[in-house]
Amino acid sequence: MNGNTALYRHLTALVAVLAVIAILPVFITQRYFLGEIILFMIWASVATQWNVLLGHAGVFSLGQMLFFAIGAYAVGMMGTYFDVSPWLAMPIGAIVAASAALVIGLACLRLETAYVALLTFAIVFMVSTLIRTDAECFITKGGLCTPLFGGGNGFSGFDDLGFRKLLKGQWVVGNYFVVLGVLALSLLASICVIHGRLGLAFRALGDSRIYAAARGMNRTRFHIIAFVITAFFTGLTGAVYAAHFRFAGPSLFEFPTLVFILAMIVIGGLKSTWGPIFGAALMMVLVEFAKEMGDVQNTLIGFVLVVFVLIFPKGLAGATSQLAQRISRQRSRKASDTARAI
Amino acid sequence: MDAILQILVTGLTLGSMYALASVGLALTYGTMGMFNMAHGLFMTIGAYVCYSAFIVFGMPLSFAVLIGIAAGGVVGMAMHLLIVKFMLHRADFQTTIMVATAGVAILLQDLILKQYGAYPFKQPAQIEGQLTVASVVVTYQSIAIMTFAAALIGLMAWLLTNTRFGLAIRATAMNQDAAELMGVKTEQTYLQVLLIAGVLAAAAGILISSLASLSPDMGTNPLIRAFVICVVAGLGSVTGAGITAIVLGVMEAAIGYYIGVRFGFPTMLGLVILVLIFKPAGLFGKQGVVRA
Repeated sequence: MNGNTALYRHLTALVAVLAVIAILPVFITQRYFLGEIILFMIWASVATQWNVLLGHAGVFSLGQMLFFAIGAYAVGMMGTYFDVSPWLAMPIGAIVAASAALVIGLACLRLETAYVALLTFAIVFMVSTLIRTDAECFITKGGLCTPLFGGGNGFSGFDDLGFRKLLKGQWVVGNYFVVLGVLALSLLASICVIHGRLGLAFRALGDSRIYAAARGMNRTRFHIIAFVITAFFTGLTGAVYAAHFRFAGPSLFEFPTLVFILAMIVIGGLKSTWGPIFGAALMMVLVEFAKEMGDVQNTLIGFVLVVFVLIFPKGLAGATSQLAQRISRQRSRKASDTARAI
Repeated sequence: MDAILQILVTGLTLGSMYALASVGLALTYGTMGMFNMAHGLFMTIGAYVCYSAFIVFGMPLSFAVLIGIAAGGVVGMAMHLLIVKFMLHRADFQTTIMVATAGVAILLQDLILKQYGAYPFKQPAQIEGQLTVASVVVTYQSIAIMTFAAALIGLMAWLLTNTRFGLAIRATAMNQDAAELMGVKTEQTYLQVLLIAGVLAAAAGILISSLASLSPDMGTNPLIRAFVICVVAGLGSVTGAGITAIVLGVMEAAIGYYIGVRFGFPTMLGLVILVLIFKPAGLFGKQGVVRA
């Protein structure tokens, strides 16, 4: 069983990676750095899910931030209107995101790649415009008018995960481990999908769509399944984002955010398993660097993205494996040379 | 009755701008299978260059407009020479080019933001005054917009149908390999296509900014409209995109008048998705979609 050994290998790697991240707070105690790692874990989770969809399932969705935002808004709205704890709101947000994905998927995923990309993009734009331009007050608290979906300001200041009371000054560490838990779930799901039976189906459909169809595989059905699963975990990540930052607003839909995450996937390596995590780490460092250079963040992201697409289309994962191949080829050539010499 | 006529005037003005914005996009997709996420930035650049030429360098308005349009063409060509050219023969060109052009879009938008700031400007290309025909108000501005758009689209249609260069573009769109075998330098054709797309988009940008205003993200709104128009027309259908743009412009004006401006685009998008459920290749799309 070749597939199973790959699965076990990746699961072992997952445990190792999670263990490393779990140990980090022992050495890093500054709140700023812990916050940065939390943000890294959130984007890594989103990028991983998107990579499953884009790289493996072949669904060119540009609507991932919608599902992220649905998760975040679920936590924000339930916290603001009903004082629901994020612990309960998080899974609900993920389920709502998955249901939205099912509806959008049924309507759009039958179409060709480019159509899917444009439609999902347009849907996100529509939702964000509707939310921004909503001026009708749903509740008015202290002279402050809040539309049903928060309008241009969104929601903030709702209940957090409760660690501020429990751990006092160390509350960030509590949030850290909750986010780590979500990242673990998201990675586990991605590995199970990529190296499980679903991944096999995706590979078959990617290799030859017509042959796969002739063997009775329904491409649209597999695409919708991938769409819904990834939307669930993207929504969950969005929910934990809202619970950590105590914020959910239309700025989540902004185009630069989308390109930022896309850059993580491309730089890490589309179609790889672990690439997006390294891509996310690298992009976080790059953005830190750009902040010091004076707010050239988006210019730099765009530039790096174009360079990678042009020169390293397989990302870091592809570049390293290419390098490894070249080294091993050189080594084998040397070995054969010495063999001949002997 | 007056309301209907007024809606028609507004809708046709909107529609002619949308047509200008989407025809170039349809042409690039039709000939090279490339979906240009930076198409909206071509519009923004055209508008800003026109503004700078007029305000900063004090050129006459007609000259400033020409320079703005030329700038769009230059950016289109530069994009081909620096990026697209090297990716054309990749197996997954259709998806990777979208990623690459998204990168270009965010890069250029940030540069414009750094150069001009986020504060919106008023486009100087304005024509004051209005015409009242049987209690329907028609501004000279919208007459100018419609004439300008019609002239440019007409010119492009003439180029495509009556010149050898247009023939080469149409041949490449039909079958790239066959065109190459007949001696068409497809590489050069692609360059010309991106030039045309850049020119048309820049012109659209100048017109749009004369109604709204100049801001670094002014391209996003018309770009999404152009996406939707191209999708519902059937990707790559140039004539279809033109017709659909006019129809959707009038529809948006009508919905804006009767239901509310907020719902103009959402209703449009809903209808588009509905159309695609029954006609997955769009209204004017030729190839059948392979379903599996």
